[in-house]
Amino acid sequence: MLDFALQGLYQVFLPGHFLLLVIGVVMGIIFGALPGLTATMGLALLVPFTFTMSPAAGLIMLAGIYVGAMYGDAIPAILINTPGTPAAIATTFDGFPLSQKGMAQHGLVAAAVASAFGSLMANIVLVLAAPPLAIVSLKFGPPEYFWLGIFGLTIISTLSTGSVIKGFLAGSVGMLLSAVGMAEIGGDIRLTFGFPELQGGIELIVALIGFFCLPEILSSVIGKRRAAYTEKPVKPSLSVIWEVIKSLLRKPGLMLRSAGIGTVVGFAPGAGGNIASMVSYNEAVRWDKNPEEFGKGTIKGVAASEAANSAMAPGSLIPLLTLGIPGSPPAAVILGALMLHGMRPGAELFSTYANVTFSFMMGLLVAAFLVTTIGCLGSVVFSRIINIPSRYLAPAIIFMTVLGSYSIRNNMLDVWIMFVFGVIGYVSSKLKFHPAPIVLGLILGPFVEEGLVQSMLAGQAAGSTFNYLIFRPISGVLICLCVLALLWPIYAKWRSRQKQEIVTCKMSIEKTEGQNEK
Amino acid sequence: MKSRTQVDPKKPWNSDYIIGILTLIISAVVYFSTRELSRLGGVFVDYVLIASAVLSLLILLKGFVKPEHIKFFDSVIERNNVTTGICILLVYLIILPVVGFLPSSYAFYFCFNLYLTDDRFSIKNILFSALLTSVVVTAFYFIFNGLLEVPLPTSMWSE
Repeated sequence: MLDFALQGLYQVFLPGHFLLLVIGVVMGIIFGALPGLTATMGLALLVPFTFTMSPAAGLIMLAGIYVGAMYGDAIPAILINTPGTPAAIATTFDGFPLSQKGMAQHGLVAAAVASAFGSLMANIVLVLAAPPLAIVSLKFGPPEYFWLGIFGLTIISTLSTGSVIKGFLAGSVGMLLSAVGMAEIGGDIRLTFGFPELQGGIELIVALIGFFCLPEILSSVIGKRRAAYTEKPVKPSLSVIWEVIKSLLRKPGLMLRSAGIGTVVGFAPGAGGNIASMVSYNEAVRWDKNPEEFGKGTIKGVAASEAANSAMAPGSLIPLLTLGIPGSPPAAVILGALMLHGMRPGAELFSTYANVTFSFMMGLLVAAFLVTTIGCLGSVVFSRIINIPSRYLAPAIIFMTVLGSYSIRNNMLDVWIMFVFGVIGYVSSKLKFHPAPIVLGLILGPFVEEGLVQSMLAGQAAGSTFNYLIFRPISGVLICLCVLALLWPIYAKWRSRQKQEIVTCKMSIEKTEGQNEK
Repeated sequence: MKSRTQVDPKKPWNSDYIIGILTLIISAVVYFSTRELSRLGGVFVDYVLIASAVLSLLILLKGFVKPEHIKFFDSVIERNNVTTGICILLVYLIILPVVGFLPSSYAFYFCFNLYLTDDRFSIKNILFSALLTSVVVTAFYFIFNGLLEVPLPTSMWSE
């Protein structure tokens, strides 16, 4: 295997192939950074061009696009609170507050380093353990997906800064929104209110743009007439890069855990980068010594989200390369590219086509390093974008939100939905009914529904839906995690109250001792 | 005397009431619109409806016991700014499919840029806005339509 890996590395560093990889990474970053354009779209657009290339060259370029896009989506998430793709939703939670504090460059560097780290770790797993992990991925059935979705929903207790009930209510509204369109199983047309365009459901990226981007512009730029998009101007410098890298190196637990979550979610077919990043963010908050720092702008939050969503990309290739099951939409496009070159997933890829397969895997690995370099150096330029006066930047951002929403399905209704969600997002933020759980419900709704309905059908055939849903090994672990996740905030609150009481006690003892000494 | 820029501080809104009532209305609309679904198509909606109805009632109850009061706008100026901003965007979206992408976008960018400028009616600012509008909108048009070949909204008169 090492021979193939070295051979693959040699292929990647051939001048022509390396140039294609660099072009791929840059194009991927652009596709990821523009709201409305996704990694899937970028890959699909460029697959036909790879037809005339050798299989290794074509796949190396696609590897660059995939890895680049997984980082690129963090740029608008951090700078303007608009995730470039749904996978960057959790990046906004801390990325944008960092920008507001004049630390956009910190966020961008953290995203680049964490993306590269996540991608690197998942690639190592892909190279070393793809076949055995693929077998584990087949153990994920409908009940496991259902519980994974429910586990994802427990992040609401973390996201709810005020009332947890409001958070879960927002989540349920999001899940009702996710029911719009054709039912995944059953085929019923639901809640379209006479609009045939809604049969495909509400596009996630449209909801993200509406709920995250527009309210911010309405509130700070238009409402408060803030001269710049951020409260403090960004002063980028090269020293920040090393400072952030050092800071992240001191958190190996956070980075490894996030990359691990991304890889596991990736190799479970169907779960995407958005779930990976949210679960990872939730765990980062739960395990951190200072959870109160999250949501207010910390590089730990950005790193947790980005390491996971970037690790998801190579993770999703594990079932693809070994079993032919694409773990994510971009992986499905890569499957198409493989077929285009006459390669079939499975054992053949690791024997007959091992050279090409390992070139592709090494392409993913080297692309991770390229992302770090481009991302870190580019952060000096990217972070200056938000120093542009808001009277120039805001109309351009609104313009992009309209273009982005329209380009998803070439449909004006999506633009209207984005606008309505934007106004609702603005109003709900004012009512302290944060829209993040609504989006979370919208993302996880279809996932939970599919798992639930399929489990019901399979459970009835097996004799008991309840037994089928609960008494399975992976389900059991996920149920325990759900319970733990729901009880954790209560425990954390109790612990912080205990700490506060101890501090108060100590202070009063010191005060009494001081008075006695006097 | 009350300043024009200040909203009456005596009238804070009970956000729990507003959220509770609105989500109950949403739940009711969804309930009555999904009564004819098949069992497989409706089971998820029914479970979520139960959850949202219970949570809405809990929020309403919280509104009685421990209400959360909010002030919607800090000032009348802020309220007017937001309303005007929404109106400009609304007009843009209405005229977009009627007159096409380029004319409507030129008009929107120019108006919005001027609206956000302090001294909006000086000749210098108007000329600068016009120049900026033509550069930005044209650049976006060529990147999306020319380079990436993303279809943009069209009308029967222009593109």
